[in-house]
Amino acid sequence: MTVTVKDNAPIRVLVREPGAAERDPGRARTRRRLLEIGLAVAVPVVLLLWWQLAANQGWIDDRLYPAPSTIVADGWTDAADGKLWPDVWATLARVLPGYAIGALGGFAVGLLMGTNALIRAALEPTLDALYVVPKLALLPIFMTMFGLGEAPHIALVAVTVFFFVWIATMAAVIAVPDGYREAGAVFGAGPWQMFRHVLLPASLPQVMVGLRISAGVAVLVIIASEGIASPDNKGLGYVIFNSRQLFDNRAMFVGIIVVAIVGVLFSELIRHVGRLCTPWAPRDRGPGQS
Amino acid sequence: MRHVDQELPEPAAQAGGIRAVGIERRFGRGASRVHALGPLDLDVGAGEFCCIVGPSGCGKSTFLRIVAGLVKPTAGRVEVTAATAHPAAMVFQNYGISPWKTVLANVRFGLDLRRVPRKEADARARDWLGRLGLADFADRYPATLSGGMQQRVSIARALAVEPEILLMDEPFAALDAQLRTILQDELLEICQADRRTVLFVTHSLEEALVLGDRVLVMSARPGRLIAERVPPFARPRTGEVRRSPEFAAMQAELWELLRGEVEQASTRKPDTDRERDREQHRNPKQGGKQEKDKEEVAS
Repeated sequence: MTVTVKDNAPIRVLVREPGAAERDPGRARTRRRLLEIGLAVAVPVVLLLWWQLAANQGWIDDRLYPAPSTIVADGWTDAADGKLWPDVWATLARVLPGYAIGALGGFAVGLLMGTNALIRAALEPTLDALYVVPKLALLPIFMTMFGLGEAPHIALVAVTVFFFVWIATMAAVIAVPDGYREAGAVFGAGPWQMFRHVLLPASLPQVMVGLRISAGVAVLVIIASEGIASPDNKGLGYVIFNSRQLFDNRAMFVGIIVVAIVGVLFSELIRHVGRLCTPWAPRDRGPGQS
Repeated sequence: MRHVDQELPEPAAQAGGIRAVGIERRFGRGASRVHALGPLDLDVGAGEFCCIVGPSGCGKSTFLRIVAGLVKPTAGRVEVTAATAHPAAMVFQNYGISPWKTVLANVRFGLDLRRVPRKEADARARDWLGRLGLADFADRYPATLSGGMQQRVSIARALAVEPEILLMDEPFAALDAQLRTILQDELLEICQADRRTVLFVTHSLEEALVLGDRVLVMSARPGRLIAERVPPFARPRTGEVRRSPEFAAMQAELWELLRGEVEQASTRKPDTDRERDREQHRNPKQGGKQEKDKEEVAS
């Protein structure tokens, strides 16, 4: 068991020397960056070209699946004519207030339940049970409660966002290392100071992740709820589902593309806010990171 | 320092040798670029126990990581003569053992990766657990062990693969002083029973003098070798050497050399240190803004 080297093993020389990245780090990094940007652009471009080709060649029925060029041209015309904006604003006017209410509520309840074990014990089973209920199924209830206007849609978004932010916040607060709390306790921090100086900053990076995920989900939910019932026949969800019923698939795809753009912008906005709020935290990676 | 133009011994005896020539490492880019290490030349003979002592941030761990192949140098070259493709095993300061594996499975890790049959691997792992006094803890999870025992697991894991080269990166730094002494004595015994090349990085002069065939002292960043001593204690030696007058004399002598470097290292601007750590902990090829690299890499 003390044999270190096999007697007849060939002797090799392993060399550790600088690679391209070490010889010229600036250049290597620039090349790497260009490669990453190139890939990020190339993948959607190739997919779109493929779709375009399929439509042009008649592999797919371009009445059902219009070519990207058609969709872009239609979207451009709609945007220039001002036909698109009322729907975009209608959707934003539902999703943004709903998101704000849900995020604040989820954050507050998450903090409370993360800090206080008794409140957690009291509320966690109930909230867990509600969490798994498909939120869209609540839309009829909200309509009964709030009438047929904007309110049930805003409430639906708020409830959806609430659960995501609640879980993220509660988990983040529970996971705050004892050392930070103990440092606060030793220096005599009251509940507010503990929140302000310890729990809030310590949990914020995780909370921001929850906020970013729920931004995407908020858009997803509002589109579905507008598809089910839109108060004044406005909103991107209404555009998508209504166009489908009218067999206007071009308008439907324009709606889908616009929703995708709105979703990306929204979630990037939240990510950016998160970075400004948590300059000490490691940056979460994802699309568009610098 | 030993020199490259020595007569080469038998090939098999040569395996395990390390030769570093003009090794340098810089971290970061542009204005925040930090010259962490070197230039450094070093020859470690096969079977030699070589200790490197230096102040924090002098690049001694970086050098070890370069030898291990975890980091590439920005200049220079390390040649490791070996009989296998992965001749080195490493013991980390924070143990680096897997919490999801039992003690036995941790020690068997390197053998499992080399596809040693389970029966033989278990036997070898248990043998090393026995030698490190862990036989009764084979089925426990690391989280249930004390720091000293976790580090014993880490050492057993490294030795179980019978590496040609053992790299130890401040392995006892997280342990209390009494435990350090005990583990130093255990390591001394194990390494004298079974000679292999060891590169041992530490902050502790005492540790280096007890364990090493040769003690190298590094300067503050950028780390270079500023002194080399051969502790005058015959092998096999025991921890008793700590009490000899020669030990105290050499320790005092090296401390005089090291004191200035430590003072220099401890009053340095901290921002560059942080930059270095950050650089080490992420993929060096990604992230950050693009800047023109103004500082040229020394060749």
